[in-house]
Amino acid sequence: MNAIEIRDLSKSFRSMYAVDHLNMTVPVGSIYGFIGENGSGKSTTMKLLCGHLVPDEGTISLFGKDYTDAGVRVRVGALIENAGCFPNSSVYQNLRMQTINLGLENPDEEIERVLKIVRMEDSANIKFKSCSLGMKQRIGIAMALLGEPALLILDEPINGLDTDGMRIMREILVDITKNYGCTVLISSHILGELEKIATHYGVIRQGRMIMEISAEEMDARAQVFVSLKTKDMSGAKAVLAEKYADVRIDGDYIRVYDVENTAEIVDVLMKNDHVVSELKKNKIGLEEYYIELMSQKEDA
Amino acid sequence: MAREPEFKAPSFTERIKGMLGVDLYRLFHTPMFYIFLAIAAIIPAMISAMTMMPAPDGTTSVPLYSNMWQIIAASKSLYVIEGIADYANMNMVFIFGGIMVSIFIGHDYKSGYVKQLFTTHAKKQDYMISKTLVCAFAMACMCITYLIGGVVGGLFAGYETDVNIGSLIVAILGKMVMSFGWASLYTFLNVIFRRYFGVSIVSSFFFGTGILIIGVAAIVENLSVPTFFLNIFLYGSSVNANLSSNIGALLICVIVSAAWTVFYNVLGTKLLSKSDVY
Repeated sequence: MNAIEIRDLSKSFRSMYAVDHLNMTVPVGSIYGFIGENGSGKSTTMKLLCGHLVPDEGTISLFGKDYTDAGVRVRVGALIENAGCFPNSSVYQNLRMQTINLGLENPDEEIERVLKIVRMEDSANIKFKSCSLGMKQRIGIAMALLGEPALLILDEPINGLDTDGMRIMREILVDITKNYGCTVLISSHILGELEKIATHYGVIRQGRMIMEISAEEMDARAQVFVSLKTKDMSGAKAVLAEKYADVRIDGDYIRVYDVENTAEIVDVLMKNDHVVSELKKNKIGLEEYYIELMSQKEDA
Repeated sequence: MAREPEFKAPSFTERIKGMLGVDLYRLFHTPMFYIFLAIAAIIPAMISAMTMMPAPDGTTSVPLYSNMWQIIAASKSLYVIEGIADYANMNMVFIFGGIMVSIFIGHDYKSGYVKQLFTTHAKKQDYMISKTLVCAFAMACMCITYLIGGVVGGLFAGYETDVNIGSLIVAILGKMVMSFGWASLYTFLNVIFRRYFGVSIVSSFFFGTGILIIGVAAIVENLSVPTFFLNIFLYGSSVNANLSSNIGALLICVIVSAAWTVFYNVLGTKLLSKSDVY
């Protein structure tokens, strides 16, 4: 059983497709990184999943049931665009309302639990409007976490967070998937952060899913490369290009792709009087993979 | 492999209890409700204690009402207004109530909290029912503060207090019962204009004044057609609950209010189910 299964989902606004026959599969217990450019249809897909928008066509299943099933939906937590809190009410009051909405039995304990998870135990009495952006994002997560949701839908939750805030958010998401068996669907433009936690990825472009891949598959597919620095970059590149198939200059570095043996590269360069001042072995990250994928699609 | 979560569908009662609980919590924890209760008390007190109407000779002023209880309800079913006193009674609560409902529902959308409600409540009828009940409750409370304000103002102004107690009770209960119908209308209007807060308030105010029915009544009276059929409308039934009403008027209020409540709730639910909610 999958947490989310979307088939042929479409949604248009004024005859423009925001989501265009989208297919998507999110396994139970995964952290699914939902990636795409601005306006690619990520938020629309998430709003469709939450029942905020009505699809033109297609089906959405959550845990094997139709997405309008009341039993499933009561266990969906969402943070879409903003936390959805009343600005003049305190953090506690906002969370309290959500506990009532969900019919939770021990509201105070539950509020304490989620505030602890988002590291905001001491902020319960602050008015929501007085909170910083980072705090508001975390309150949004806390709202979504009430009632132990089976599925969390988070639209750009790390936007506007500082480095420490991002780290906290990362820890929270890993914690809830491991300890509460929650499935997380998360969209973000900060791919470096997403790469640290996601177990699966989906890349959407112009409303269509162009690739779904697990982090393991991605790792296996990722190209290994050696990056190095010399004084005469173009000369060194020419030397290396005679021996290796894929050599590129990227900023201050020369990149030699699909090479394991670094000693061999150094040897080749030294024989041709090029001194290597810096050398490291790398793997293509999510960001580069994504950019390359996008440029390929653009060319196509 | 991750453990499969279990799901138990909440019953209708559990769902309504949840959403109703949130709305009541909001109502009691925001100053807006208390401000409207105060407005509902102050307005009749001010009108009855301070307002004087010019006498026909134009040189002197006479009080707006002849009897204290006219602040609560008109002496008879006056669909067409003959004087401001026929209009300025507990029916004004439905105008204040309309504005309050617009603000209450408008904040749901403005804050984005409505997203939480619609994410966890797949059934859109939950929203309509809960808002109708809570706003009707708020309006019924406003009827009570209006009564208190009107009595205090009336006593202060020294009006006569003779009244048929039975009719007075019928009038007050009738108007409180009508709160449900009015609340469902305003909820429906606010669902239609959910993206336009200003339009919501204006439309609520417009319908709350009963101006459409007053207009129809004027035409009907000119044609010498009986006006009792106007009681099928919210404003008509509200006017029909007056100081000469009997239990039949209360019964009409119950039936009309219930019918419109169901009608607007069904319509609102359909609208929410078939359109994008946020």
